Amino acid sequence: MIKSLFDWLKQPLGLIAVGIAALAFFSLASYGIHITQQTPEQPVQFPHRTHIAFGVQCLYCHPGGTRGPASGLPSQAKCWGCHQQIAKTNTSPLLAPLKQAVESGTPIQWVPVAQVPDFVQFNHRAHIAAGQNCENCHGDMTNLTIAQNPQVFNMGWCLDCHAKTAGEDHTKRVKLTDCGTCHY
Amino acid sequence: MSKQFSRRDFLKLTGVGAATTAILTGCGPASRYVKREPYMQMPEYTYNGLSTYYATTCRECAAGCGLIIRTSQGRAIKTEGNANNPLNLGKTCARGQATLQGLYNPDRVTDPIKRKRGSANGSAIKWEEAAQVVANALKKNKPKEIAFLMGTAPDHLFDFASDLATAAGINAPVRFSALSMFESRATLIKAAENLFGKTGLPFFDVGGAQVVLSFGANFLETWLSPVAYTRGFAGLREAQTKQRGKFVQFEAALSSTAAKADEWIPLKPGTEAMVALAIGKLAYEIKGGPMPRAFSDVDPREAASTSGIKLETLEHIAEIFAQSTRALAIPGGAALGQSNGLAVAEAVLALNAIANNFGKPGGVYFSALAPNQTKYQGPASTQEMEEFIKKMKGGKFKVLFVHGVNPVFELPAAFGFKDALKGVKQVISFATFPDETALESDYVFPDHHGLESWGYQRVVTGSAQPVLSGAQPVVSPFHNTRATIDLLLAAGQLAGRKFASSFKDEVEFLQSKIAPLMSESDGFFSAPDINTFMAYFQQHGGWWKTADGRTAPETADVLSHNLSAAEAEFAGEGEFFFVPFVLPTLGEAGANKPWLQELPDPTTTVMWNTWVAMNPKTAEEMGIEDDDVVRIASEFGKLEASVYKYPAIRPDTVAMPFGQGHTAYGRYAENRGINPADLLGQNFNEAGDLAFAGVKVKIEKTGRKKPLSRLESIMGVYGVGLGGEE
Repeated sequence: MIKSLFDWLKQPLGLIAVGIAALAFFSLASYGIHITQQTPEQPVQFPHRTHIAFGVQCLYCHPGGTRGPASGLPSQAKCWGCHQQIAKTNTSPLLAPLKQAVESGTPIQWVPVAQVPDFVQFNHRAHIAAGQNCENCHGDMTNLTIAQNPQVFNMGWCLDCHAKTAGEDHTKRVKLTDCGTCHY
Repeated sequence: MSKQFSRRDFLKLTGVGAATTAILTGCGPASRYVKREPYMQMPEYTYNGLSTYYATTCRECAAGCGLIIRTSQGRAIKTEGNANNPLNLGKTCARGQATLQGLYNPDRVTDPIKRKRGSANGSAIKWEEAAQVVANALKKNKPKEIAFLMGTAPDHLFDFASDLATAAGINAPVRFSALSMFESRATLIKAAENLFGKTGLPFFDVGGAQVVLSFGANFLETWLSPVAYTRGFAGLREAQTKQRGKFVQFEAALSSTAAKADEWIPLKPGTEAMVALAIGKLAYEIKGGPMPRAFSDVDPREAASTSGIKLETLEHIAEIFAQSTRALAIPGGAALGQSNGLAVAEAVLALNAIANNFGKPGGVYFSALAPNQTKYQGPASTQEMEEFIKKMKGGKFKVLFVHGVNPVFELPAAFGFKDALKGVKQVISFATFPDETALESDYVFPDHHGLESWGYQRVVTGSAQPVLSGAQPVVSPFHNTRATIDLLLAAGQLAGRKFASSFKDEVEFLQSKIAPLMSESDGFFSAPDINTFMAYFQQHGGWWKTADGRTAPETADVLSHNLSAAEAEFAGEGEFFFVPFVLPTLGEAGANKPWLQELPDPTTTVMWNTWVAMNPKTAEEMGIEDDDVVRIASEFGKLEASVYKYPAIRPDTVAMPFGQGHTAYGRYAENRGINPADLLGQNFNEAGDLAFAGVKVKIEKTGRKKPLSRLESIMGVYGVGLGGEE
């Protein structure tokens, strides 16, 4: 049966059918891959740029960066500490989800953005200790509302910077590009 | 496959189809399916992304093992043992590991409720009303009409209730648990008192011994302090620095403990005292010297023939016992749960006199008393519970408070606890889970789960040092529950007079109890003020002394006692000896934790059910196959269960695990298996413990089959599935 199918496919009509199928397949595939790279929706439209404009530092809300593997998310109490004193909290529709969450005692369900697979043991502390700034990897937040990845967090991109940072120092280069450094 | 469409074609099509499906569905960053919920109020000392570890104490049994709970973002995620706690030294048992799952049980009592007794529905009320109900119960009834019935954990609540009872003239709280019933604690203590003249719980140093003879004591399962005894067993078997120790277990059915023994001696139930004394006599003959009174009346030949053990076996065991430098004999379990249980305990304890091991490594000690404890206080024996029930029936109690124990399930039905509740005007339960007793209560004012609670637990056995294991909340309470002490304090304020206490809350009460430890010497930490002391107490998970607190029994005249070798008497006319045992996976209260239900029983691999273990030859004679449902009838009740053909049991004995058979207690426990305690009744030994292994049963076929879920496959077992079924 397959043989007779292949014979038909070699005909002009068959070739067109193959062409359409391939096109459909690849466009669906690229769409699939494209949507994986879209910034996910967040339950609260948090404007990073507004907060930075007010002088709030990255580490104020994401303090884990200097201490361990994950920078972390601010607790509801951290947000509420200021927002309970700001009149706009009661009037702005953007802040309504925050007010509702705090008053009902339910945590806000943030969607993580800068994610790497489980087999990558990423540790923020080492990077901050090496003098990297948050915006080097996470982008310029002064233009963003909700968090967005400025580039794909793939291994090639990580290794690029690792190799550049190592420069001519052989020991550093070995340590930074060794598999076990990140995949232990 | 047809000529048109070959297997290869099918595989090709499937491959393409699968690939297409995979690409077109479910493509998106994993982040879309993951949500991060931050703390509402993050504690100051917490780091985002890093777990916080809290030291607390397990409440799943009376042992009091120290735990370290790993929490992340305010949620408890893993239980491990506290490495510094001298009782368990960083280890936990299965029940301790699963205590975490109880915290998240979907059927937990979430609010204080008022209900009509026996009805599953109740209406939620406010805590202010609950406090008023308790206050009224305290002040409107005469003090002697108020009773507290509590479990063997936690100790701090027991102390609070005892202090309240003393201050207000209320009946002293009574403690009970199914585990203490099956451990025959009262028998062990009475036997030690008879032989050594002192009240205390004996401790058997398995770790330091070379030869251990255990008469029914299933110390690798749930007996007394399983984690400590299991560690002791590891010490016995350690062969790097010394010779590997030998272990012999005497019991009618091979338990998980016996499965680890070098020799399992399936003696006839009721002959344990006779066999122990016979071994004693034979061992003494090897050692030489005038035969002491304790062993003079027994005849080893008669003991051998009555018990069904070969005389050569008895002689061989006596030889290894006599010739070892560190021999130990342990009485426990079903051996003590018979009409002559006290005699069995005395006979086995006397064997230790031959080994001359009292107060020495590898021998018998009196357990160290916990800090601040002046004498050992055990839970009520089953006979004392019978008296309690009589009082309930007779209307002596107008209000009964129940905490940490589920007597409707744990006591045999024949004791009539459920019926006796009718004689109590008001029953108030503090149960965390909707168990059978809570269902028969007028009010349920739920206590926090053990992991959400403050407190302490005295370690009564298993540790060389005196240990007070501390508990603290590892998470904020998930539901609208309240610490029972806080409720009692609030109610006391409302009731006024002698019920009012000066403590503002549970923590203040705890501090008052722990403060005296500051002036004790030899603690592993000390502090000049109570706040610092409490901080250390919480951080380390308790306070303990550094020196050995065990005492040696007085043994001058142990062997001059006249010890009885008489056989036990059995209740009932049936032809089978009945041995109920606590399921080592579930313990007494684990049926509502699916992790434990899913754990296969170590000897049969059965999960999620109760079974009747029967010898295959007996089954064959009766025409019974695996999974056949049989009716088991004793003098006190009738039950039905599926058969498991178990070769490691005497042909004249059947065994059944205890732990299932709940009619309430949540979705994982309800209507699953049966409760073998319902075959038992008012049948006690001389120490007042239930003669739970002192019953004979009849077995009848019902013609029905109900498959047991086993981890092992039934295929190939006794020819099943191989075409060779009979």
